Amino acid sequence: MPETTTHTWSDTPRSQGTLTLPGPAGTTSFRSDLEASAVLAAVERAARSIPPLWPLESFVAVNPFLGWVDRDLDEAAQGIQRAWGSRPHMSRDFYAGHIASGRISDRHIERALEGARARRAAGASWDDDPRDLPSDADALRRAAVEPAPEVRVLPTVASVASDVTGQDWARWVTDHVSAWASTYFDRGQASWPCPWAHQTPWGAWKAQMARDRGPELRGVVGFRDTVAGLPDDAEVALTTMAGELGLEAEGVQPYVARLLGTVLGWTAWVRYLVWEAELREETDTRLTEMAAIRMAYDVALLRGAGADGVREAWSRASVALTEPTSSEGEGDAQVDLLLHEAYELAFQERLLKVLDRDDGEDAHGVGHEDRGSAESRRDDVQAAFCMDVRSEVYRRALEATGDGVRTIGFAGFFGFPIEYVPLGEDSGSARCPALVAPRFVITETTGDPGGAAEQEVTRARRISQAVSDAWLSFKLGAVSSLSFVGPVGLAYIRKLVSDGLGLTPRRQKPASLEPRLDFRNQSGRKLGMMLIERVDAAEGALRGMSLTRNFARIVLLAGHGATTVNNPHASGLDCGACGGRSGEENARVAARALNDPGVRLELMARGIAIPRDTVFVAGRHDTTLDQVVLLDEHLVPAGHAEDLEVLKVRLEEAGRVARAERAPSLGIEDDVDRRMEKRTRDWSQVRPEWGLAGCAAFVAAPRARTRGLDLSGRVFLHDYAWEDDQGFDVLELIMTAPMVVASWISLQYFGSTVDSRVLGAGNKTLHNVVGALGVLEGSNGDLRVGLPWQSVHDGARFFHEPVRLNVVIEAPRDAMSRVIESHPDLRNLLDNRWVHLWAMDEHGKVTHRYAGDLEWMAA
Amino acid sequence: MDLLLATFPLLAPLSLGLVTLLSVREPGPLHPSVARASRWAGLSSMAVAAGVALRVAVAGPVTSPLLGVAGIGFSLRLDALSVVMLSMVSFMAWLLLRYSENYLDGDPRHGRFMGLLALTTACVMLLVLSGNLLHLVVTWTATSLVLHRLLLFYPERVGARVAARKKYVVARAGDVALAVAAVVLFRAFGTADIATILGRAETIQAAPAGLGIATLLVALSAILKSAQFPTQGWLIEVMETPTPVSALLHAGILNGGAFVVVRLGGVMLLTPPVMDLLLVVGGFTAVFASVVMTTQNSVKVALGYSSAAQTGFMLLLCGLGAFPAAILHLVAHSFYKAHAFLSAGSAVEVFKGGRRAPATAPPLRTILPGMTAAVGTVALMGVAVGIHPWDRPVDFGLATMLAIGLTQLWSRGLEPFGSYHLVARTAVYAVATSLAFFVLDAGAIHLLAGAVPTHVPTSPATVALMTVVVVVFAGTVVTQLRLPALIRSPRWAALWVHLHNDLYANVLFDRLVGALRLRAVTPLTRETL
Repeated sequence: MPETTTHTWSDTPRSQGTLTLPGPAGTTSFRSDLEASAVLAAVERAARSIPPLWPLESFVAVNPFLGWVDRDLDEAAQGIQRAWGSRPHMSRDFYAGHIASGRISDRHIERALEGARARRAAGASWDDDPRDLPSDADALRRAAVEPAPEVRVLPTVASVASDVTGQDWARWVTDHVSAWASTYFDRGQASWPCPWAHQTPWGAWKAQMARDRGPELRGVVGFRDTVAGLPDDAEVALTTMAGELGLEAEGVQPYVARLLGTVLGWTAWVRYLVWEAELREETDTRLTEMAAIRMAYDVALLRGAGADGVREAWSRASVALTEPTSSEGEGDAQVDLLLHEAYELAFQERLLKVLDRDDGEDAHGVGHEDRGSAESRRDDVQAAFCMDVRSEVYRRALEATGDGVRTIGFAGFFGFPIEYVPLGEDSGSARCPALVAPRFVITETTGDPGGAAEQEVTRARRISQAVSDAWLSFKLGAVSSLSFVGPVGLAYIRKLVSDGLGLTPRRQKPASLEPRLDFRNQSGRKLGMMLIERVDAAEGALRGMSLTRNFARIVLLAGHGATTVNNPHASGLDCGACGGRSGEENARVAARALNDPGVRLELMARGIAIPRDTVFVAGRHDTTLDQVVLLDEHLVPAGHAEDLEVLKVRLEEAGRVARAERAPSLGIEDDVDRRMEKRTRDWSQVRPEWGLAGCAAFVAAPRARTRGLDLSGRVFLHDYAWEDDQGFDVLELIMTAPMVVASWISLQYFGSTVDSRVLGAGNKTLHNVVGALGVLEGSNGDLRVGLPWQSVHDGARFFHEPVRLNVVIEAPRDAMSRVIESHPDLRNLLDNRWVHLWAMDEHGKVTHRYAGDLEWMAA
Repeated sequence: MDLLLATFPLLAPLSLGLVTLLSVREPGPLHPSVARASRWAGLSSMAVAAGVALRVAVAGPVTSPLLGVAGIGFSLRLDALSVVMLSMVSFMAWLLLRYSENYLDGDPRHGRFMGLLALTTACVMLLVLSGNLLHLVVTWTATSLVLHRLLLFYPERVGARVAARKKYVVARAGDVALAVAAVVLFRAFGTADIATILGRAETIQAAPAGLGIATLLVALSAILKSAQFPTQGWLIEVMETPTPVSALLHAGILNGGAFVVVRLGGVMLLTPPVMDLLLVVGGFTAVFASVVMTTQNSVKVALGYSSAAQTGFMLLLCGLGAFPAAILHLVAHSFYKAHAFLSAGSAVEVFKGGRRAPATAPPLRTILPGMTAAVGTVALMGVAVGIHPWDRPVDFGLATMLAIGLTQLWSRGLEPFGSYHLVARTAVYAVATSLAFFVLDAGAIHLLAGAVPTHVPTSPATVALMTVVVVVFAGTVVTQLRLPALIRSPRWAALWVHLHNDLYANVLFDRLVGALRLRAVTPLTRETL
């Protein structure tokens, strides 16, 4: 995770100690002893508690608790409640139901309590926790049926003013900030855009608000004057405003965290912009400005909410900002988290039972075969898939088509972090995990770079684009849209019938031609990959998936993507490791690099000998259809034609089996293939597929450990053979990249399940795409984060079980400990209990669980 | 037998009512019986509409026997106008029920939703079949009251309650206006039978006393129903309820105002000042709302302003006496807007596919040829089809408005590369659009002749007002093309702020209904919806 904090508050020249504020006539001026640098540092810390939100066109999963993982779950739960009014657990009746059904049994409750006691004893829970643990299992069981204590959310002036005046100023502020942000951050919806979009947020907001009469008409007295009177520099303004609000130094961070929590979605969007800027190693102050903007509303309401009581009520209420977090009683999530722990223990019991293949196979040396004893038969096909949980079903089905197929799990971008630029466009999109910046720019080509065909395609695409732009400007323009509807509107009846009956064929993306790998320098921009870069990436890919010998004649690299229509969150179903896009281009680039004789020669020198008759073939796994199609078949030598045909038959068969397995979860009982295909074209379908819902575990081990096990499409599978991993570099990579990504995905589903209101995107039937970047639920309110309710719930029950990710790695424990020790972010994730880690021994048995603080205990 | 034939259309709303009845028993997750019934109801409504169309085509227009006393009561008017409307509404009923089957899947009150949706469309069908003033007023009000339940389908949503409250205020005012108008009309014409009233209106020389009040109130209720400035606030906020409701509202119910004006067209014509009022209010809203639309940032809100503008345009057409064109626009807009809402989830794909707001303004020397090309296309096509737009002022005005719209297309089509492929493809689109315009316009007049007044004479005052509208339209399009060069200037920036806030009409409306007094009911989380 790039935690490159580029802001250095301490050396801000403006930090000049005490500020006295000029208040408007008739209002009290607060004398403030706030240090500007301290305020800014606190604002910065508070802003970092907001997770980034990717745009809908590349909707990458994000851990909503990203900014809280440096705190123990228990402590974070209180912070999350105070700042966001949310919670990292289900409601009590959920657990009570599971206790009643017997799924959570006494022993789980006992063990959850034991665990908590042990953490207390070890001092692992947060400092000076004054609360008592429930005395025994009975007490906890009783608490499950008691109403949860009331939510305690920190006050803002807006919330105080709401209480005093009986007008919902809190809602108004959120709506107003959201309306402003949707104009300022708009990526193309409005054809008459915000005139200040080129300025930074604070300046743009001030310019706009100085002219906006809305707030005053709404009843905020002197709003425009207040705005005009604020300093032009956001950082100065923050200190000024904090002074006027009478904040104490230690109150600034919780207060700002709460402020930003009232506009969580838009702040998350800004956090994303900052994230991208920091990947490019740029400095960015937009988060601070966002905090200033939100704070300005509180100042405006303090001055002008129209009731004298507001100022007084605020000075009383704001005391809560500096109260210790761990006071007992209201807002206490301890009981809930203990219940949650018991719920997860019950799940883990089942998981370990499934993983524990006590069938004596190990005695015959499952592992040995896999670890490549020379006598073992050569595979016909090795098929590498994304570690995505959806691949598990398909891989199992593919392996069941007969011997000779070995499947491999790896990050779906196959180690090639590219930006892919289609012909006719100037820039492309990143096809790599969110944690890294793309390193190579790959352009599309017809096969004759710079030739006539390529120019023709480019020209045709540009003209189509221009015609379509012109037509849209007629259709959607002011006034011209009136002339458009009369003559053209009737034609929409054809579309309505065709879409209504599901007759519209699937929208074929303009068939991507070919990726161009050769390196060149084009007007200062490096395009393609140099030989050495291809070799490095190829080596990284092969070692990363522990495939360095015993190559089959065909190695399939299957990227994946989904097929849905009319779905704002469509890209969330695509490959997260490819930046929320289909992974086929990465697979095609990887296959080309790995088939490159020059690359192979160099790989040989590095100890990886790929046989002459091994061919890498790219493919696309369509996860909605469970169908794998092969790409670039023309690159496969004629001698392999027969192998390819055999493979296709197997893929076809595997697809059928996988579809049949998934069908019941989608409510399909018969005629599976047709109905599933229909789903991909149904514009009214809110659950085209279940995506990664249900994901619960991550296993990094040789496939032999899990082969033949039914993991129900709920486990990320990453191949890893630690014996081949000298220096444990691959282990380090797995634990810091794929494992972290998996935890993001799992926690995104977790958050959207436990609190669809704050951490999820709410009801899909109300979604309203805003600014071409995100969704609102309905006509206003904050930008929504996370996944729609429909993605985690089937109407009768939660389809996603809200458990934290269980990571199982087959590797020596001390090696893992060393990795954990040297990566603070990873350590936070594990020590603070956001992810569970288990160790598998060399016999494939899960023997230990990570207990925090680099300790392991017997499972 | 006559009775049977004349009441046959009732089968359409009745079949939908059956869905509602079933849904009362199964209000929860979608029960197969409700799903089946809704499919059949949709299909049978369309079949009924086809049957009615056939009957009217063969036997001519007819009014069913009256259910009521003293000429006041319920009866169905079957003529070209009601057939067109019934066909459209039946199609929407089928489409929306079918869409909702999967779209609401998993909603704990899926059955109730289907029932309400069916009931609302049934009410709209009865409205468009109105043959008597009482029938008209009752179905008009009923539609709005049932719709209210749909707008509050998620009653815990504050936004939904605010929007519904605004809609409620506006709709009740509209109801009262229409009811009073009905009473005045009854007294003026001595009957409540719409066909009879229209027949008498055709023959009388001078407007009966008090008629001005009646038509003014009809116009007023149409204006309120159509979300015209400054009451558009509710319309742009009703996406607080599932998408099919928005589609129904924008494609089915919002048209109610224009429909009633056209239905009573013969009477409205008797009071030219009221017609001019429709022209002015409709024309203003058309320009205003369509400009505001271009400043909006979310798909559904932009569609909301678009609907207000399009409905304004329909009222403008009514005001010009171009009733067939108004109905054509109404139907075309319904299909267009239903599709726009139902496919609103595709917005991301559209942008991925590369929709870009133009970054630079075409220079005037591109706009002028664009305008010339547009005028040329329209004139040529008019001649080709054998229509001479300059024969009648209104036709000329409408053709000019088309040319103004096509200026937008041509200016972009002539702009970027000067590639002749681009010009050729733009020409194909422009020619097809112009051709469709003339053919459809003539078709609408042909189809609706007899049911609505056609070839209405135009007063000099109306021509003057129309000229103003045309000039404003032209100015708006040219300004829009030049906009990228203007937006950062302080004046235009300030104008943008005010327009983006729709001149604060909605803020004031919010205050009027006490929007902020409604507090959110926020359970910490919603386990189920």
